[in-house]
Amino acid sequence: MTGTDQSSFLGRISIRRNQVNAMEGYHEQEIEDLELFQKQLSDRFAELLSAPDDGPTEAFLSISWIRKLVDVFLCCETECKAILLMERDAAQISKPPLDRLIPELLERVVKAMDICNAVTNGLELVRHCQKLAEIAVSALEQKPFGEGQARRAKKALVSLMSAMHVDDKESSVQKTAERSWSFGRRSGNKDRHHGHYRSLSWQVAKHWSASKQIHAMTMNLAAPRGPEASCLPAPVYILSLIIVFVMWVLIAAIPCQERSGLTTHLPINKHVNWTHSLASIHDKIGEEWKKKEKKGMAGLLYEMQKMEKLGQSLIEFTDSYQFPGEKEKLDEVAAQVAELAEVCRRMDEGLVPLQMLIREAFHRLVRNRTEFLDVLEQGGPVV
Amino acid sequence: MDGCQSGVPTYEGDLHVVAAAHHIVKALGATKNLSDDLRKILIDLDSHLSMITSNIDSKGGRGLVDVEERLDQAERKIMRWETDPMMIWDSGPKEASDYLEAVDETGKLVDGLRGLSVHENRKQKEILHRAMNILQMAMSRLEEELIHILVRHGQQFEPKHMYSRSIRKDIVYDESFVSVEDEPIKETSSRNYSNDESGECIVDLVHADVIPDIKSIAKVMFTSNYGPEFCEAFISVQKEALEQYFSFLGTENLSIEDVLKMEWTCLSSKMNKWTWSMKIIVRVYLASEKQLCDQVLGGLGSVSSYCFLEISKATILCLLNFGEAVAMGPHRPEKLLRLLDMYETLACLLRDIDTLFSEEAGSFIQLQFHELLERLGESAIAAFEAFRVAISSNGSLYPFAGGGVHPLNKYVMNYIRMFPEYCNTLNLLLKNQHPGVADQVTEPDYGLDASLLTSCPMAYHLRSITSCLESNLHKKSQLYKDEALQHIFLMNNIHYLVQKVKGSELRLFFGDEWIRKHNAMFQQHAMNYERATWSSVVSFLRDDNPGSSSMSKSTFKERCKGFSVAFEEVYKTQTSWSIPDPELREDLRISTSLKVVLAYRTFLGRNLAYTDDKCVKHTVEHVENSLLDLFEGSSRSLRNSRRW
Repeated sequence: MTGTDQSSFLGRISIRRNQVNAMEGYHEQEIEDLELFQKQLSDRFAELLSAPDDGPTEAFLSISWIRKLVDVFLCCETECKAILLMERDAAQISKPPLDRLIPELLERVVKAMDICNAVTNGLELVRHCQKLAEIAVSALEQKPFGEGQARRAKKALVSLMSAMHVDDKESSVQKTAERSWSFGRRSGNKDRHHGHYRSLSWQVAKHWSASKQIHAMTMNLAAPRGPEASCLPAPVYILSLIIVFVMWVLIAAIPCQERSGLTTHLPINKHVNWTHSLASIHDKIGEEWKKKEKKGMAGLLYEMQKMEKLGQSLIEFTDSYQFPGEKEKLDEVAAQVAELAEVCRRMDEGLVPLQMLIREAFHRLVRNRTEFLDVLEQGGPVV
Repeated sequence: MDGCQSGVPTYEGDLHVVAAAHHIVKALGATKNLSDDLRKILIDLDSHLSMITSNIDSKGGRGLVDVEERLDQAERKIMRWETDPMMIWDSGPKEASDYLEAVDETGKLVDGLRGLSVHENRKQKEILHRAMNILQMAMSRLEEELIHILVRHGQQFEPKHMYSRSIRKDIVYDESFVSVEDEPIKETSSRNYSNDESGECIVDLVHADVIPDIKSIAKVMFTSNYGPEFCEAFISVQKEALEQYFSFLGTENLSIEDVLKMEWTCLSSKMNKWTWSMKIIVRVYLASEKQLCDQVLGGLGSVSSYCFLEISKATILCLLNFGEAVAMGPHRPEKLLRLLDMYETLACLLRDIDTLFSEEAGSFIQLQFHELLERLGESAIAAFEAFRVAISSNGSLYPFAGGGVHPLNKYVMNYIRMFPEYCNTLNLLLKNQHPGVADQVTEPDYGLDASLLTSCPMAYHLRSITSCLESNLHKKSQLYKDEALQHIFLMNNIHYLVQKVKGSELRLFFGDEWIRKHNAMFQQHAMNYERATWSSVVSFLRDDNPGSSSMSKSTFKERCKGFSVAFEEVYKTQTSWSIPDPELREDLRISTSLKVVLAYRTFLGRNLAYTDDKCVKHTVEHVENSLLDLFEGSSRSLRNSRRW
């Protein structure tokens, strides 16, 4: 979407830096670059904010919306890095206050890598939900439809619900992991279907907590003031804020290890233009999170929310279903099944690419960190 | 098949045709070696034919009754187990096959009745729904049985039986380079496990006896369109089994942050463990899992590879993430060998990974492996550079007491002694580091051809490392005020260098020319030492006037005294110096002896007339014996010893 924008932006910086590197007016050029960058950011987040709350394509917090968000993140990351590092004398980066800000940024980057991995694990759970919903859909679409199929659908839907209401607390993970197999007749098999998604591979590490990571990432994250606001500390702040923000959205949307107490406050400087849309997105998701958090849920991902609602309603239907069923009710259910099928289709299309995209973001963070470290090393410690 | 359904026969003759067709189908079905697809078609055909027959019969109302009877029978068999506390497959093969037969029968009836449902016969519909209900119950039950069988007959294997896990001596790094002692390192024992895994080991993750059972459950579930349920159950158990095995190996999930903060000794052992677990997980566990999937789900298209990917993905990613974390950590010199271990492990597993995840869906995993390999390679090179930098920049404020072998030298030489084991990998990685060297290189595998080994990239880098080391040692030698001690220090250290090279495979990479040159170098230092120390001492004994027979007594006295004082001074200083190598020490003493003792003996011999005088403080024997005390590393004095 912003591919051409971006390459021209990068080209601009590179040409500028080459031309004016040793000349007067360097600083003004830089301010101009930064303004252009912020303008682009503002547009991108405004576009994300404008997504409809509901609808067939690109709804707010849908899989395709999140893919867009991660794309925006990747673009910002490249551009920010260009502003910070391209054609720049390493010594500039290792001077105060950057000698403190950059290492802090890199710590956030490391935490973001772990969050990417946690989210990748979480997407496995979402995929598992998709598979269960697909079973329910295929049962409910059977013709002729009878009690057998209703029971089949119900079984899948009940598994789906308990998989969705995953308890991300560490204690439950331990319990699941330690539970020994029960060989007695049919005991212990009840929650087998989702148990494994909470087991060992679900964890990033023992005692790791997504919400604590976000909390730690927001520490010392403050918008630069005064003259700093228009020079190098500004892009460091922007990049930090965007990393924290994107990770925060991912955690809110996609289930992952230990999200309780996820902060709904991010230090967004609302006095600058470019953060307006970002702050609105943040408020909107924060509200939603507060509403849903207590219920214990799979996350704010649009498709999961939709699946939960439809699943609940279809469980009620299968519970009370008796052959042959009322025509009216059956028509209503058929519509819901079609909707659920559509959700499954969108998951089928979007989840694997999203997983790959998040992996790409992970690799990008790895490379990003290496580049910064290389530059810091060249600059040497400031004595 | 629609043709079959629409053409329901209406007269007697057709009955015979159908009966004949039925016979043929039955006969064909009895044939062995049928493909699964074909068998399924025959089964379908069979159920359709029986349905047609019963429909023809139903003219007289008999057909449906027959169907109902068959369903009743199947239902009884299926329902009996709903209240039974035993698992069916635990109860015996007869029970299991009876149950499967009943399920199969129900499935056939469902298929058949469905085909006829166009007729909107109420009774028929009722039977169909009943049959589907029973089928659902049976499928649910089969899912439980499947999980039970997989769990109950799942087998863990001991990794010990697969690989002898050798513990490689770890060189502990510390900033001062003082921790390495010259212990003999068994070079051959350390890596023998990395070469013997060409043969894949496949084990039975689930007992071989129950594979046919699992297959038969898979078959009936897939035939009844309950494939997704089968997959979910199968994946869930096998995924958890893999995770349990993973923790059984002692590998735990670590966040990147944890890995980056980890202390070196701990990280080193985790890196070792990773190398080991990675091999077992990929070569043994996943290869076996793949086989299991293929055995159970072989004839079902991409189902097998889908299940395999779902089972293994999370664990693989977990292993890869540790690798990523290690590769991005600080590139410290001590990490080099572990990184090379990880690199080599991954490189030799690549082909396995490419085979295991050959389908399109698995290309993601393949890609991640290739990326990590590249990253580990870069990281190893960076650690290699860091090693070189650490050698060059290792500085000292004070001279190293005694002039013996410096710990930096010991550390470096003991460390690079392991490099030949990684020869091919290092050559591959270092090839692009110095374009000048790469040009000379045409053949990447240097084998054991000695003439080529000295010109491979690794050899170049080894020599460059030792030359860094040498120049650092020269710098360190400058810290000594005493010129003689500078030479002792350099002699000791270069001798050590040469010994280490000669005594290991390093000699193949350094070559004879290098060894000759360095031999000459330390010998030169030995000569310089002798000149620096003994020339002035021996000068007292020199005959200034070779023509005349003897010198004056006073001159003799003066010379004698001068010699004694100088000799005692040397004795006092140089007994505290150290030449750790006994042979080298011996050689130097002999050559010193030759020079000093001979001169002293001659000097005394020429002046026999005065030798009774008190001024001759030391006898020749005494001087000779005293020389034996030099370079022992503990200061002594002749002044306090008994006087003659």
